[in-house]
Amino acid sequence: MSGNGLIDIKELRKEFNLSTSGAASIKTALLWWKRRNMVHLQVLKGISFQVHPGECVAVIGKNGAGKSTLLSLLARVYKPTSGKIDIKGRIAPLLELGAGFHPDLTGIENIYFNGVILGLTREEMKARTDKIVEFSEIGDHINAPTRTYSSGMLARLGFSVAVHVDADILLVDEVLAVGDYDFERKCYAKIDEFRANGGTILFVSHQMDAVRRVADRCIWLKDGEIHRVGPPDQVIGEYEGRDLAPESG
Amino acid sequence: MLAELKELWRYRELLLVMVQRDLKIRYKNSALGFLWSFLNPLLTVGVMTFVYSNFIFQKQPNMAAYIMAAYLPFMFFQMCLLDSAQSIIVALPLIKKIYFPREILPLAAVLSNFVNFLFALAIFFAYLLINYALHPGSFPIQPTVVILPLLILISFCLSLGASFIVSALNTFYEDIKYIVGVVLYLLFFLSPVVYFDETVANSHLNQNSGWLAYKIYNLNPIAQLCTAYKKAVLAPYDPRVMAPAGASPDEIVRVGAIPLSWKYLAITGVTSFLVLYLGYTLFNRLKWRFVERP
Repeated sequence: MSGNGLIDIKELRKEFNLSTSGAASIKTALLWWKRRNMVHLQVLKGISFQVHPGECVAVIGKNGAGKSTLLSLLARVYKPTSGKIDIKGRIAPLLELGAGFHPDLTGIENIYFNGVILGLTREEMKARTDKIVEFSEIGDHINAPTRTYSSGMLARLGFSVAVHVDADILLVDEVLAVGDYDFERKCYAKIDEFRANGGTILFVSHQMDAVRRVADRCIWLKDGEIHRVGPPDQVIGEYEGRDLAPESG
Repeated sequence: MLAELKELWRYRELLLVMVQRDLKIRYKNSALGFLWSFLNPLLTVGVMTFVYSNFIFQKQPNMAAYIMAAYLPFMFFQMCLLDSAQSIIVALPLIKKIYFPREILPLAAVLSNFVNFLFALAIFFAYLLINYALHPGSFPIQPTVVILPLLILISFCLSLGASFIVSALNTFYEDIKYIVGVVLYLLFFLSPVVYFDETVANSHLNQNSGWLAYKIYNLNPIAQLCTAYKKAVLAPYDPRVMAPAGASPDEIVRVGAIPLSWKYLAITGVTSFLVLYLGYTLFNRLKWRFVERP
């Protein structure tokens, strides 16, 4: 993290074809007329913005506005329908509740596995394991299978791995409330440290306090388009006041 | 495709860790550990040997070796397909959150089965040598065993290619894995695991059809691989041993031992590489839609 994480998004569009008929099977494919149940969904309708090195940008908006889709596109989970995403630097998505953990492996083994997925070599991971274990505060439990972990422990472990892989860009989807009060404070301290070292953050949150606390800039997504961009206080003020105006959402 | 292979190479560490993880998980929760992977084939081969050496091929010595030589590669193919069919669905929560080349999932399933396959082959050769030490006779392993690496390569390509196809399609249509199960079950009977390709050659069907049945039979790459493993490693099977006492063998048996056919092996090799190429192409076309499946 040396201040070189950069995100450049141009005219980004994402469409989904959703089937209302539920689980996929050959039967539904053979009964071709079922295709009529396909719903064409435009989630992002051509958005463009930049996140500069060392900047922390928050994305806010209602459920279904396209926030998580945006993060998934940045994490390269989806392919854009059209438009361009340029990313410089290593990106680390913060996985919710240890999505990358296998329940039958121990905490240590999962740390190792998660780190390698995020693009580190096994050597690099070996050097970091102790630091990650210490930060997660899981203690001796680290040698037990993660299926025995509580959800708080999983979240703590996931957060610890993500912030220790030396990413340039951190993608955070509503997971800052990961543990008790003490651990949450520790997370914020770590994020401040990450930023002080020039790390770039893009995060999605419904907690306006968190947005005010860490964001430099705030993007309000509304129905797949950028509605407002600006300083957090100003955008949040408008966002929270939206209920008063009849037409906003 | 070149760009995809380059990307895959960049993630080789993940592939390695994934294979380690697969092997670890498979044997971690069981007391007998690694033994389980060999207990199943051992029991299967044991029962098959009992049935076929006592009831059908009564005069053929060392029937167990002939069955094993074909069953191990068959099992490798079978396990690859069954494991990789589920590999993407199982990892869906993960691939919805994070990027890595999706082909690593079926590839890891195939590779961990490949490790098992190599172990199984080692046990097979150990069995041949121990059996030779206990019942000295002619040495059981033939010089043609040198082509074994080629056969293993063909098996690997065929299994990987088929796994790409099955894993990609099963992600969209979950009935694929049931179809694959049935097809594998039928394939077992259509491959010379518990019998020999000479058995097919000597059949009335083949003789009456002017060898057409034998030709078609050997176009199946799995069948041809089973035959090739047997012929490469073990002494040729001569159908004449099956002739009843007192009868002249030539009256009963029209075709004797058939040597390893390079022609059919070449066809199988080309088919396998084609399956791999097409499988990977199909997988790459579909892989971005895995997370968006309806």
